[in-house]
Amino acid sequence: MKITSRHPLAVGAASLIVATAAFLGCKDFLSDASTPQGTLNQATLETKAGVEGTLIGAYRTLDCTSNLSANWGCAASNWVWGSVASDDSYKGSDATDQPPINDIETFHWAAPDAQDYLNVKWQISYEGVVRANSTLRLLAAVQKASPGAISAEDAKGIAGEAIFLRAHYHFEAYRMWGNIPYYREDDNDFAKPNLTSDLVVTELLKDLDSAIKLLPATPRNAQKGRATQWTAKAYKGRVQAYAGQWPAAVATLQDVVNNGPYALEPSFDRVWTGFKDKQDGPETIWAYQASSNDGEPDGNNANYGERLNFPYSGSHFGCCGFNQPTQNLVNFYRVDDNGLPLALSDPTNWNANNNNFTADNKAAVDPRLDWTVGRDGVPYKDWGLYSTKDGWVRDVDNGGPYSPKKNAHEKASGAESNVGWQNTQLNSVHIHLFRFADVLLLLAEGYAETGNLEGARKIVNQIRARAAVSAQGPGTSTADMAVPINDPSITWATYKIGQYPAFSSQAYARDAIRAERRLELALEGQRLFDLRRWGIADVTMNRYVNGVGGGAEKARRLYLLTAEPFASRHKWYPIPDLQIKLSQSNGQSNLKQNSGW
Amino acid sequence: MANRLLGEVALSTSHAPRLRAVGVALGLALALSGVAFGQQIRISGTVTSSERIPLGGVTVRVQGGDVRALTDAAGRYTVSAPANGILAFSRIGHRAVQENIAGRTRIDVTMTAVAFLEEVVVTAYTTERRADITGAVASVNVDAVARPTTASVLQRLTANVPGVVVEASGSPGSRSTVRVRGISSFQNNDPLYIVDGVPVQDSYVNWLNPDDIESIQVLKDASAASIYGSRASNGVIIIETTKKGSTAGPQTRLNVRTGWSNAVRGYDDFLITNALDYFQVVKQSNLNAGLPVPTGIYGDPNNPTIPAYIYAAPAATTATDQWGRPTGVDVSKYSYPNTLIMPGSAGTNWWKALFGTGAVRDVNLGITGGGAETQYAVSFNYFDQKGTAKYNDFQRGNVRVNTAFNRGQLDFGENVALSLEQHVGGLPDDPGSYAEDGILGKNILMQPVIPIYDINGNFAGGKATSLGNQSNPLKEAYWAKNNLNKNNRIFGNVFGGFVVNPQLSLRTSLGFNVGQGSFSGYNPPFPENAEATFTNSINENSNQFTDWTWSNTARYDRKLGQHGVSVLLGQEANASNSRFISAGISSLLNTDINSRYIQDALGDAATKTVSSSGGRSALLSLFGKADYNYADKYVASVTLRRDGSSRLAPGHQWGTFPAFGLGWRLSKEPFLEGNHTFNDVMLRYGYGVTGNQLIPAGRIVALFGGSRGDTYYDIGGQNSIAAGFRQTTLGNPDLKWEEDKSVNIGTDLALFDNAVNIVFDAYKRVTNNLLFNPAIPATAGIAAPPIVNVGKMSNAGFDFSIGHRAANWNASFNGSHYKNKINSINGSQEFFYGPISTRIGNQVINQVGSPIGAFYGYIADGFFKDAADVASHAKQDGAAPGRIKFRDVDGDGQITLDDRTIIGSPHPKFTAGLNVGLFRGNWDLHGTLFGTYGNKIFENQMEWYVFREFNTNVRKDLLANSWTPEHQNAKYPRLDVSDKYSYALSSFYVKDGSYTRLQNVQLGYNVPRSMSRWLSAARVYLQVENLFTITGYDGLDPALPPANVFGSAGDVRDQYRGVDRGSYPSSRTFTIGLNTTF
Repeated sequence: MKITSRHPLAVGAASLIVATAAFLGCKDFLSDASTPQGTLNQATLETKAGVEGTLIGAYRTLDCTSNLSANWGCAASNWVWGSVASDDSYKGSDATDQPPINDIETFHWAAPDAQDYLNVKWQISYEGVVRANSTLRLLAAVQKASPGAISAEDAKGIAGEAIFLRAHYHFEAYRMWGNIPYYREDDNDFAKPNLTSDLVVTELLKDLDSAIKLLPATPRNAQKGRATQWTAKAYKGRVQAYAGQWPAAVATLQDVVNNGPYALEPSFDRVWTGFKDKQDGPETIWAYQASSNDGEPDGNNANYGERLNFPYSGSHFGCCGFNQPTQNLVNFYRVDDNGLPLALSDPTNWNANNNNFTADNKAAVDPRLDWTVGRDGVPYKDWGLYSTKDGWVRDVDNGGPYSPKKNAHEKASGAESNVGWQNTQLNSVHIHLFRFADVLLLLAEGYAETGNLEGARKIVNQIRARAAVSAQGPGTSTADMAVPINDPSITWATYKIGQYPAFSSQAYARDAIRAERRLELALEGQRLFDLRRWGIADVTMNRYVNGVGGGAEKARRLYLLTAEPFASRHKWYPIPDLQIKLSQSNGQSNLKQNSGW
Repeated sequence: MANRLLGEVALSTSHAPRLRAVGVALGLALALSGVAFGQQIRISGTVTSSERIPLGGVTVRVQGGDVRALTDAAGRYTVSAPANGILAFSRIGHRAVQENIAGRTRIDVTMTAVAFLEEVVVTAYTTERRADITGAVASVNVDAVARPTTASVLQRLTANVPGVVVEASGSPGSRSTVRVRGISSFQNNDPLYIVDGVPVQDSYVNWLNPDDIESIQVLKDASAASIYGSRASNGVIIIETTKKGSTAGPQTRLNVRTGWSNAVRGYDDFLITNALDYFQVVKQSNLNAGLPVPTGIYGDPNNPTIPAYIYAAPAATTATDQWGRPTGVDVSKYSYPNTLIMPGSAGTNWWKALFGTGAVRDVNLGITGGGAETQYAVSFNYFDQKGTAKYNDFQRGNVRVNTAFNRGQLDFGENVALSLEQHVGGLPDDPGSYAEDGILGKNILMQPVIPIYDINGNFAGGKATSLGNQSNPLKEAYWAKNNLNKNNRIFGNVFGGFVVNPQLSLRTSLGFNVGQGSFSGYNPPFPENAEATFTNSINENSNQFTDWTWSNTARYDRKLGQHGVSVLLGQEANASNSRFISAGISSLLNTDINSRYIQDALGDAATKTVSSSGGRSALLSLFGKADYNYADKYVASVTLRRDGSSRLAPGHQWGTFPAFGLGWRLSKEPFLEGNHTFNDVMLRYGYGVTGNQLIPAGRIVALFGGSRGDTYYDIGGQNSIAAGFRQTTLGNPDLKWEEDKSVNIGTDLALFDNAVNIVFDAYKRVTNNLLFNPAIPATAGIAAPPIVNVGKMSNAGFDFSIGHRAANWNASFNGSHYKNKINSINGSQEFFYGPISTRIGNQVINQVGSPIGAFYGYIADGFFKDAADVASHAKQDGAAPGRIKFRDVDGDGQITLDDRTIIGSPHPKFTAGLNVGLFRGNWDLHGTLFGTYGNKIFENQMEWYVFREFNTNVRKDLLANSWTPEHQNAKYPRLDVSDKYSYALSSFYVKDGSYTRLQNVQLGYNVPRSMSRWLSAARVYLQVENLFTITGYDGLDPALPPANVFGSAGDVRDQYRGVDRGSYPSSRTFTIGLNTTF
């Protein structure tokens, strides 16, 4: 150590060299550490795999995702918006769980609570649009940078699917809010003003026409989840029907029915199922391809959005008793001696029954009741007899004695998830976004609206004939879970379903078709949207609450006493307050609230 | 002066100057001037107070150098120094003494207690005399810090430092949220800690043994802190562990204590514990709603009885009564988990089931010693704190070695601590997101009729209808008893110094913070719950990180006549990297702890998951500081720092952080000189800019990613999902430094013959270019918004301390006030909501013109009196007599979203601390009071214990104190199960969070030498922490830490303060302890 004290110069010089070297060596010191860790960048995705993957991502937003699931407003089935808000179902559960849905159910859509639900629906709709547009931009980038990396055929298909998805997500927003902004891949002003609902329809049809031109007739890579030309055509008919463009809708839908690949499932039980081999059958135009036990640790792909809608703790499922069918809906399945809806033949008394419609009640019903509604004494698919007494319902006083059934999986199907909260409420039942029965009934409407009553009647009878094929049976295997509707093993119901001999008038045809839509599509998240496009939502909903067919729902569910009258402003849902505030430029909100909100 | 110190330079920590390239060149020139060295001699002596009491802990320093020693408890010291040098004696609270050595080998010194202005404190990279400091620098009373029993030193800072607020839950080893002078950013507002010169951003600091700490300084304003520019905008806390070597012979200190604790308050103090009392609430709520009273549990509403069983599986039930309640069961049918039988309980006290007596044990052994050329300090610590909640424990083992070697002009050494901690149990820090599922959220609000155990001794739950959906909190705790959180740490530095000549010294230090942590946890099934689950799972994770800092400084000091100049130049590089891996598996076949591993055969292989992530960041800095002092009368300092951060965009990576300070010591002016009233008067002014770049790394470019649950999709429909991608994060290529500009004016006063010290500072801080990720329209997608430099926030306030010392007592009072305001968000946006919601919604808004994290909702104007009142009030959904009436703020005749407004602020108007010490003979008594005033708490737990969402337990006074037509002046709205309106977010939940708490009171007895001849000193003490709390808050504990809330831009907990969602309450701890040296 003597050396150092004798040679401060040497030590100092050495220190200087070391420090300088360190400093110079730092030239890349900061930039080396600035690379993000564990993420992908744009360049990685500008490949075929990147484009295809981004397209897959655009499909995924059909249901809530692990990053977009603040509540159940994002569910694939629209159960909150289309079913609970209509006369099909109650929120269910107990009074205090998910209080925003209480407000939605009682038409208090401006309530603060409802905002979060509205916002998540808005978010998931536009996230779908964003993902679809990203696909289109990436596709263009790849085609420009490395032509040939993606075959012309695939490129067309990818573009077609992305444009179709974009139309679908905009349609979802359109049927919620009507007046919405429309975003294409070259838009970058995300605070655009909204269009009027008529202009939205124009944009939707423009995109669907593009998609029809681009898409192949059969799904790309034979993957059932993909949109085809026929999906897009059917969807175009749906949009035209929503817009009331009946002659055009008839033309489009007729093409789908006559030339398309679709058909009704042979029996109703095969429409909603967890059995893999029955899914994506001829009736499926488009479904959310839920998957369980796919390696996702929380079961997020296994119908996250539906996971509340199962019978409660006494049942296998355990929770949570939401989306409970209404007494009104159950009564609506009553039929007259001809097997036709009692609601049509006895408009003053069909809804008089206030009591739990149990297996003891042998009044004749449409067999679809027991594929749609879980009720006492009736087998709940293959999970045993439904029993409120044994705790299958969370709070009968609040939500009535029934449970939804379509979204439930069969025990034998193996569709249940092994993971997630709660695994028993997660399954791989494909949630229909559009099915052929729906197309047929839209065409029937088109026929009725354009004066072809006989065409309409045939379709309705076709639907009813299929409904007459099978009823819920007592069995636990594929073979005997569904049995003929008059099978002696059925001890819990009298099933009856008849054909319409004639549609005596356009008005009667409308009523019959609308009744059929409700019977066929109940709890599929469509009812309120249907009522609104028919222009009868206010009348129907106010009667539902205050009294129709001999019964008033507010007498059955006391909380409905607080329902706001369903008024003209309920034509559309209010645009989420937050999104209006976020759409500001120069201090002004570009998004305009729907009228009345 | 030139010859004074070069003989040997002992060296210790980081506060001494360090090496810097530029400085080296300067140093070389000066080094050539050559010097002579004095002869080294060994000096010893005793330091006593003016009352002749031996003074321990006096720093004895060879002036101009770093040789130092500490006196022991008997006031003795030994030190080696040049025969012609000067010894400086310093101790907090005493007038510094200098003695010319003049060849003496024994120097006894008497020190008198004085105002603190003469203290020498460790500030940025160096030491300064208090009198030379122009910024707001608070010295922490280390004696006060030594008293509390919490694991982390940070939690011991409360009440001791004006302008510094510390919040922590009562959970052992929990995080401390330390805030210096308000809140400057929407993001992370944690201060920078400098431990032995090594910067670290860690809000636990559990690895540091508080017993090792010698001094703590808090740099509160930018003129003091900006030399740490890059990370200093939230203040800098400098901690020195230098209970390091002395040149005396070996000295051993042994400090031992043990204590017992209870929660300061329990839910059983105000929740119902009798099942039939609870039923009366249920009954009234249903009757008022016109609904039938449920009979499934209590039977006849008019003659309710405790059920024999709250639940018996149908298969095991042999008889039921007329209400359908099981009255007979076949016990042999019981089988877990499918056929359960649970008895009814007359009244389960869930709080008592889960919370009881905790304990703390703290053992410290330290040995210091050395000689002229070598000093060492070795310490050991074992700390074990059992929480007041069952199965909750924090343990730490810590070893420290500080050594210094002096070899002529060169010195070198290291300070290294090795710390192993483990934390067991399921009550970590207050969780973000929904806290209701935590043990303290709503689970502990189980109804009293639910028993703890079922008939077979398994945990019971509320499986029957109407018993809620909570999980048995004791079960949660029990199964978390092996959930092990480990944190192993090596922290310290190696350093070298070179004294070129008496003016110039160079220093280099390589600091390191190397850690590894792990967690393993088990999640049981809950078949006994209403919402039963049947699968178990385990998860574990492991992380490791390395953080190093290399700093080099040169210091030059020169005194010419009355002019003193000191220059510090430095360079620093810092790099961090971390890696994290987590994994899990479900459906373990064997849940035994020895089988809880993630392997295919041990569980359901298909549920196995694993993922990893990592992070890197770097900082590069150049800095300098120049101080000028004229006759101790005028003081000026200028600081300049340039920092480069890897987190920011190329072109904007470098930020410049200037600061200056001016001081005028009026008491040196002729008109005050010798004045006995104003012994010392110092006026200070400081201005400076500090920076913040605490955002996640890599946010410059757009990021893409995907996950199985978010972007993957079963496109083929056969349960085989295809990979999908999306843009996850939007980048900002212009990301630059957030800047905090602060102005501080202050005064230091010593009055009345130094009997009273006053420090007062007033400040204003304005943060510009606030790093923030404002929400973007959803039409742009859910990708995390870019972090942009928008927004502006200001804090203005003052803090002060007043101290008095007398022979038999001393007291210090400190207080602080700040006013936080959001000045702008991004120009057009006026507000954004808080980062998380509870079930009742989002109760927090960040709005221009208001403080960060204000409470938001309706104004509750009492209850509707009657139908006429309902009719005359603005149209309100669900309005009915006895329900809460909301104010029509916008006057449009109806209660809508637009009537929500700001209903309170979680920020205190004033916080205060009082420390008092009394001395009588061998006895001493110390007390610390802390108070916070004017802050509001959003009592979100009322969602449960008032509004009974999910059939939770409720407050004892709910039935008696709810509105009825006859009892209009009620505390709560009318009991009514159909009232789904009154619980809306409103000022009804907003409570005054003010409290005053006796944080610590300690009675000590110094054992006379005659009683312990074999010890050089011994002191025994009794202590109580949190003995009492005076508060109007009716919830569990008004001392609420902000919850762990993170957004895509990092830690955003300051946007979510003061919301009571069930927080681990503080503990009342009784401790006995013994301090000895020998």
